[in-house]
Amino acid sequence: MTGYRGLLWLARRETLRVSKLWTQTILAPVVSSILFILVFGLSLGDRIRNVGTVEYDVFIVPGLITMAMVQAAYANNASTIFQARYDRYLNDILSSPMHPWQMTLGFLIGGLYRAFTIGLALFALAVALIAVPVERPVALIAAVSLGLVLFASLGTVVGIFADSWDHTTFIANIVILPLAFVGGVFYSIDLLPSPWEEISHFNPLFYLVQAIRFGFLGESDVSIWLALGVTAALAVPAYLWAQWLFSSGRKLKA
Amino acid sequence: MAVGLRRRSPRGAPSSLIEVFRGDPPALELRGLTKRYDDGTLGVERFDLSVPDGAFFGLLGPNGAGKTTLISAVCNLIRITAGEVLVFGEPTSSLRTRRWIGLAEQDINLDRFLTVRETLLYHGGYFGMERADAEGRADEMIDLFELGAKAGVVAPKLSGGQRRRLLLARALMHRPRLIILDEPTAGVDFELRQELWSTIRRLHADGTTILLTTHYLEEAEVLCEEIALIRGGRLIARDSADGLRRHFGADTLQGVYVKAMAG
Ligand SMILES: Nc1ncnc2c1ncn2[C@@H]1O[C@H](COP(=O)(O)OP(=O)(O)OP(=O)(O)O)[C@@H](O)[C@H]1O
Ligand SMILES: [Mg+2]
Repeated sequence: MTGYRGLLWLARRETLRVSKLWTQTILAPVVSSILFILVFGLSLGDRIRNVGTVEYDVFIVPGLITMAMVQAAYANNASTIFQARYDRYLNDILSSPMHPWQMTLGFLIGGLYRAFTIGLALFALAVALIAVPVERPVALIAAVSLGLVLFASLGTVVGIFADSWDHTTFIANIVILPLAFVGGVFYSIDLLPSPWEEISHFNPLFYLVQAIRFGFLGESDVSIWLALGVTAALAVPAYLWAQWLFSSGRKLKA
Repeated sequence: MAVGLRRRSPRGAPSSLIEVFRGDPPALELRGLTKRYDDGTLGVERFDLSVPDGAFFGLLGPNGAGKTTLISAVCNLIRITAGEVLVFGEPTSSLRTRRWIGLAEQDINLDRFLTVRETLLYHGGYFGMERADAEGRADEMIDLFELGAKAGVVAPKLSGGQRRRLLLARALMHRPRLIILDEPTAGVDFELRQELWSTIRRLHADGTTILLTTHYLEEAEVLCEEIALIRGGRLIARDSADGLRRHFGADTLQGVYVKAMAG
């Protein structure tokens, strides 16, 4: 029974950290995403044809929200865990009567909290600025949840392996951001010439963007089941990897 | 009371008279504990030690002797290479043993995002305390360690001594039965040291087992009922201060230390 209380307090600690640092953790990503929506959507929207039946400014919103959320989930867990290791107060948690899975889950909840807060804020603003529909709410929730588990877990893993702050931002800049850019956030991959269209299908973020776009707009470049399936097939091993690091103590404990 | 000096006690046999009289499982028992770090360094090697329930026990040894390694092995902070650790008779794989241990590490490791009061509350939570209980206990600890004026201040804004106090308050927060203090008085002013001594003594008088490392021999002499001397990851000797003096034929603990560490 005791471990559950520990899990609750760890989750509370992780959300408290996000709230105490809210200008960095929430406000900054919301502002930068809104700028993207305004600049790309509203200014270019008039000049770019519709993507399928959807207007361009509406088309890019789901992808931009996805990008902001997965980056936040990743960055949150990478930095909170790296900091906890660096300051060594992680030892207070490692020496507590919590199961390793409870530690993994407690940290995951922090990343989810931050990403959902950002997602909701962006969604509210997007609805106010641009009439963005939510056609398939269940698919949307499933896609967002899987995507966040994937990226928060990835953040946990990187936070555990990182030897410096630069490592954590390195992965964000060199892996996540480029994959998001070529993952169909700004365009439908139907518009891409061969072989770029085919190559896009190897991008894991492409499927997440598709699943979330399907949730919002009710249409996507690939089947929703394929998109959710690929995302789940990545999220589950990523979570288990993070969990394994906590239970084996590799890298966390000398 | 003369306790025979033993380099290694036979498995299962009580390793001190105190334990014979009390008959309880020892607060801490190490059996063949070995820790080899990934780079090949041996932290401790085939280490056997039994700390009786209720003891005030000192670990003495030069820098790099393996004191912190030993403590980390007990508190799930390193991966053990070989051997067993039992806390009040239970293997440390059982999670509830962790509730029985309170640790103040050698290096101060406080959560930079939490205030003094939050540090204590959250620690209580991690260790399974109920909220109301944790709140009451946090206030008690804040009073005991005179942190009242700083209760709402985050750890990075505390002075060195205040951080040390908070670290100790956190170790005591969940009412552990075994308190492990790794050099609690390093870099601490005279006044705080006196206070610490009296606080630790009071806890010991209430039946808490204390495991203390220190480089101040007079501190070990004054406080500890039993002392283990460690060098190069191995147990050299273990006895009361008087017993050690007799065994090494020295007049002072300093003399014992010099002889023991010279090998
Ligand atoms: N993370 C680590 N990786 C590799 N070697 C380590 C690690 N931590 C400690 N050691 C080595 O293990 C040995 C024992 O170190 P330990 O910290 O246990 O000593 P100590 O007795 O606590 O010393 P001190 O009095 O200086 O605190 C030393 O040789 C040290 O260099
Ligand atoms: Mg040490």
